[in-house]
Amino acid sequence: MNDTILKQVVKIIAPCIQLFGIYVILYGHISPGGGFAGGTIIAASFILQHITFGKAYADSLLNEGRALKLISISLIAYGVLKAYSFFGDYFDLPHTPTGIPGNIFSGGFILPLNILIGIIVTSTIYILYSLFSNE
Amino acid sequence: MQIITSFPLVKIFIILLSAFSMPLIHNRRHIKIISIIFLSFSLTLSLITLNYVFRNGAFYFNAGYPDTFLGIQLYIGPVETLLSSVLEFVILVVVWFSAFSIDEEIRQNRIKFFYILIHLLTASILGIIYTNDIFNGYVFIEVAALASCGIIVIKEKKENIKAATKYIIMSTIGSGLLLMGIAFIYSYTGHLNMDLIHLEILEGYDDYFKSLLIIVALYTAGLGVKSAMFPLHIWLPDAHSSAPTASSALLSGVVLKGFAYFLIKFMDRMLGFEIINQLNILPIILILGSSGMIFGSLSAIFQKNIKRLIAYSSVAQMGYIFLAIGLGSPFGAVIAVYHMMGHAVTKSALFLCSGLMIEKTGKNEISNYRGLGFEMPITFILFTLGALSMVGIPILPGFISKWYLSIESIQLGKFLLIFVILLSSLLNAVYYFPIIINGFFGIENLENRVYKSKRAPYEKLAPIIVLITAMLVLGIFSKDVLDFLITGINAL
Repeated sequence: MNDTILKQVVKIIAPCIQLFGIYVILYGHISPGGGFAGGTIIAASFILQHITFGKAYADSLLNEGRALKLISISLIAYGVLKAYSFFGDYFDLPHTPTGIPGNIFSGGFILPLNILIGIIVTSTIYILYSLFSNE
Repeated sequence: MQIITSFPLVKIFIILLSAFSMPLIHNRRHIKIISIIFLSFSLTLSLITLNYVFRNGAFYFNAGYPDTFLGIQLYIGPVETLLSSVLEFVILVVVWFSAFSIDEEIRQNRIKFFYILIHLLTASILGIIYTNDIFNGYVFIEVAALASCGIIVIKEKKENIKAATKYIIMSTIGSGLLLMGIAFIYSYTGHLNMDLIHLEILEGYDDYFKSLLIIVALYTAGLGVKSAMFPLHIWLPDAHSSAPTASSALLSGVVLKGFAYFLIKFMDRMLGFEIINQLNILPIILILGSSGMIFGSLSAIFQKNIKRLIAYSSVAQMGYIFLAIGLGSPFGAVIAVYHMMGHAVTKSALFLCSGLMIEKTGKNEISNYRGLGFEMPITFILFTLGALSMVGIPILPGFISKWYLSIESIQLGKFLLIFVILLSSLLNAVYYFPIIINGFFGIENLENRVYKSKRAPYEKLAPIIVLITAMLVLGIFSKDVLDFLITGINAL
């Protein structure tokens, strides 16, 4: 893939795709979208970079080992937050503030959970792609 | 005391969360130690819960949205605590064994994935046993099915991939049928909580007889595929014989039991035995169970590979469980649960023994095991004890369940079943005893053999000794165990 036009276009378009993915994740709880949709969008930008700039460059951004670590940490964080909301009701722990409806900081745990799902989905889809890409 | 009621969910969370801490650790030794620590901690919590239930009786735990029917509910009764304690114990011992044996069987960078999968499997089996919400149960069943495929395919040989593909196709069909059953029951009753479904079904089930029949048929077929009911067992021998030793022990000892217990839970807690006896589904389960007992044993006789033989023996033993369920009485379900526990302990010990034999001789055909009892006596004595329980020698758990099964079938007037049980026991003896007899006796077998020349190391024998001791304890205290279990079945 040694096409200059392609490389220049991807250089411009990849950050935009990532920004859009982050937007979809952050506004997941007040508009259509969410962790899964946003995660796939960000993963698409990584896959695009993998195709145009080659494996070495893409691995410097996100390689398999780093993705696995990100998944593990995010899953543990997700589990801890979920455990808090399950056991919180039971042991009368303080509730999370709900915020004003429509703001980004609202809806209790949904925003952090969406972000974590976004990280997990990005890493998983990128790992899946790099498993099947024979370079 | 309130904190004890949260232990079941705490256990599931701890095991799931500790699973995902393993990719962060580089040292393989530390991974094993962490796995053993967390599993023993959860076993301790199980035993505390068992003690609590023994004193105070069954309890519910609501996860999220308490006092409504929206949240997920866990029901922890006598059967649930005892069964989950025994299964967790088996998992812990198998993990202890695997700590010494898994390095030789799979690639080094796969070890962390093996322990992740075992933790996922443990958590999902606990979830299946505890849950009072059928859809939650379905989710756990899916997790368990995928994790068990993972621990088969982790060996990365050709036959493993083939076996795991077969397993995943069969088990997806089973999940589909089960999901359809859940959809039926949800559109019929409007609930997913088992207690509420039970109340809803009690009100005028006469009008919905056909749909109930469909629901029960879908459930039985779906869970039958996953727990190797007779004609749907074809995935089991390949999957269980090709997997690494520790995986085979877990798959045969623990995973099948979770699915079978979900079927008992469905019949006992959701429908109740009065309703299910009016449907024509129990005779079919009875016939499939008995044919599984006989054909599983018949297939085992012709096997040359020891792990395939033990795997076919699992088909036969699951036949006993389905036979006990098919009797359609509360005591039948109690025997089924007792047989699950006995079989979990015994079958995992047998698989671990066979793993040691294959490791020491380097061959997995039974014909190579002549005179092996002289060369590795302790392993073979443990194998013999396990095999005797399978055949049904008094005080061992296999005998207890066969004995009570016969008594219960006489009480229900089904005399033919006694002959089926007897025939199956004899067939069990036909395929287990030649291995033992050729292992210990026969002059030509023992020629040129050096005593204890292939002795297994003690750190690998200790887990099997623990399992066999647990088997003996389960057999000796069978009366107390059965008395405790009977308080849990049909408690609604």
